[in-house]
Amino acid sequence: MNCNRRIIIYATIVLVSTVVWSRVLAFEAIITNERSGDVIHVDTDGSITHIVPICSRPRGMARGSAKTQVVIACSDDHKVIVYNRATRMIDLEIAPVQGAMNVAVHHASSRLFVTNEGAARASVFDLSSGQLIAELPTGLEPDGIAITDDGLHIFVASENAGLVHVFDGVTYRQDEVIRTNLRPRRIALFKNELWVSSEMGSRVEIFDIETRDKLDEVIFAPKGFRPEQMTPVDILFNEPANEVYIALGSANHVAVVDVATREITKYILVGRRAWGLGLSHDNQTLIVLNGLSDDFTLIDLKTKRPRLTKRAGLIPHSIEVFK
Amino acid sequence: MRLLTMLLIIVTSTMSHASVVTFQIAIVTSSQIEASNRGRSFAGIQTRVERPIRRAVELALFESKTSFEAFGIVPKLQVFDIDAEQPLNEQLRAIHSKALVILDLPKSEFIEAAKRLDEWGRTTVNVRHPDIDLRDTLCLPSLYHTIPSERMYFDALGQFLIYRGWRKVLIVHGPTEKDKVRTKILERSLKKFGADISDLREFTLSHHPDDRDQNRPEFLTGGASYDVVAVIDSARDFGRYIQYSTRRARPVVGDVGLIPVGWHRTLERYGAPQLNERYQLFDEVNPLPAGESMSEAEFAAWSAVKLVTNSLGTINQQEDTLDPKQILTHPDAQVDLYKGTRGSIRRWNNQLRQPILLATGDVVVAVAPMPKFLHPKHYVDTLGLDEPESPCNLK
Repeated sequence: MNCNRRIIIYATIVLVSTVVWSRVLAFEAIITNERSGDVIHVDTDGSITHIVPICSRPRGMARGSAKTQVVIACSDDHKVIVYNRATRMIDLEIAPVQGAMNVAVHHASSRLFVTNEGAARASVFDLSSGQLIAELPTGLEPDGIAITDDGLHIFVASENAGLVHVFDGVTYRQDEVIRTNLRPRRIALFKNELWVSSEMGSRVEIFDIETRDKLDEVIFAPKGFRPEQMTPVDILFNEPANEVYIALGSANHVAVVDVATREITKYILVGRRAWGLGLSHDNQTLIVLNGLSDDFTLIDLKTKRPRLTKRAGLIPHSIEVFK
Repeated sequence: MRLLTMLLIIVTSTMSHASVVTFQIAIVTSSQIEASNRGRSFAGIQTRVERPIRRAVELALFESKTSFEAFGIVPKLQVFDIDAEQPLNEQLRAIHSKALVILDLPKSEFIEAAKRLDEWGRTTVNVRHPDIDLRDTLCLPSLYHTIPSERMYFDALGQFLIYRGWRKVLIVHGPTEKDKVRTKILERSLKKFGADISDLREFTLSHHPDDRDQNRPEFLTGGASYDVVAVIDSARDFGRYIQYSTRRARPVVGDVGLIPVGWHRTLERYGAPQLNERYQLFDEVNPLPAGESMSEAEFAAWSAVKLVTNSLGTINQQEDTLDPKQILTHPDAQVDLYKGTRGSIRRWNNQLRQPILLATGDVVVAVAPMPKFLHPKHYVDTLGLDEPESPCNLK
């Protein structure tokens, strides 16, 4: 290939990427920082627009009932708060919530689901009143929690137990336990599939939501790493692109996986201990929280390249992205 | 006279499953032989805490409760307190043939018991002795080592020193045979990763003026150029005095100062704080004060039980009693060690591979393997004897 052709190709790439970037729609991301005890508001350029001290050890976060609300687990304060990103005030406090770690919200029934890390259980609250509805016994160190869209099935991953407990979303009785590989962390639901990241098992396992049979697993191997160094945590689906993103923790990469074939199509290098993942509403920007380098990386999903990395608070944990 | 003191504790008695499988665990210990001085230095000064390993085993069983329920397993823990005046064989015969036998005995008794149990086809675990001869020459197919070997500890230290650029090492060691053997292992680890040994010095406990070159830290560490002092003091009775008393202002590592360990109370990451808190509080009748954590032997015993319970899915259980051998020999047997990288068995010498922590009394400074020490097959196999070098080949 001659030199001129290369230059033309590179110039085209640069031009195209510039056009793509300029078309990125504005977003506002909310990030919890577990060590600095605050949330930060981040805009499309990766600039921090607000830093709001919020509580002790804010970790898991989910979208609230209103478009301006997020629900945040304050682990060391043993409570859950509803934070309003427009007023930057706390709208509601639910307490006590022993060792609140991760949260999920079922919007149709306005129910809040929280894992209680030290207490080996999950709890269910009415999100509008803050009333406790049920307590669900799990294995030790419950983390990821998810509920199906129809509200009928609740899934809770217990890190220590290596199990996902399945509860009936109406009676709250335990239906079944699904055995996973070591240290299941996060759960993502996609159509009839349940994706579970196994942090110490270095893989993501895929189960059928109805039969609970194991369908498949994804094992990671970026160049220069051994399989046991992969410590996957967050899983995020991008349905229009037919892609799922998996943060590989201490391996400092994000894996891009084809949803249908479950093949890994790319590894993207990010910061240290990549855990939290967020996706912009135009599906063009993936935001990765790097817990050990206290920063976040914006990835352009067209080119699958990191666009920029900026400073977060101390130990960024979870992210929600809004229009 | 009692032939055997046997303590039977049924940990869980949920018999709800149609076909219940029993998981037998046996701790073999000897309170009689242990009567003297474990973990103590001169005048009864406690230099490290040595608790019976039973608490750690019970913690592992407590943690595995939901897994046991999911798999329809009931654990049974027995503690055998060996009477030194009675024949060992008879006492060992009382152990269930499919038990996971955790041997917590002094070395000579340990070897005798391990050999006998190997002849009988039992499965045993070494949770206490890092000694390399147990791996290299005893080399029993039925014996697993969940406590790290001396080589793993010193390799971790060697990698750390190179990583920090502290290449010139003055070794100060004690006078006992054990100190000399361990000094050899340390030397080998240091050379393996490219450190230089400035000098080897032997200390003495004698205060006699004629011995001052060997008993005064200032003299003992003088007349040499070094970046760091490595102390080998197996009995923990001299090394303590070397810190802050070296001729040159240099850090002290090895058996004092920065020490390579398998577990530590201040590890902040990988879920370790939860495990430490659980260890203190899970036994509601006998809680431990904050700050207490598992000793090396306790962590090894906890690891052994968790290796089995984390790997229950590897086998299809048909019998009434779980056979730990089936699990431990399975290539997928693995354990979440709360140290960032899962543990598994090195097939060539039955050693549990695991990260090693480099810690002082109040901080974990690093977790080895250190960055840039790479192994072609397994991330943590730069620590300890690799397959091609091992005189023991059980594969």
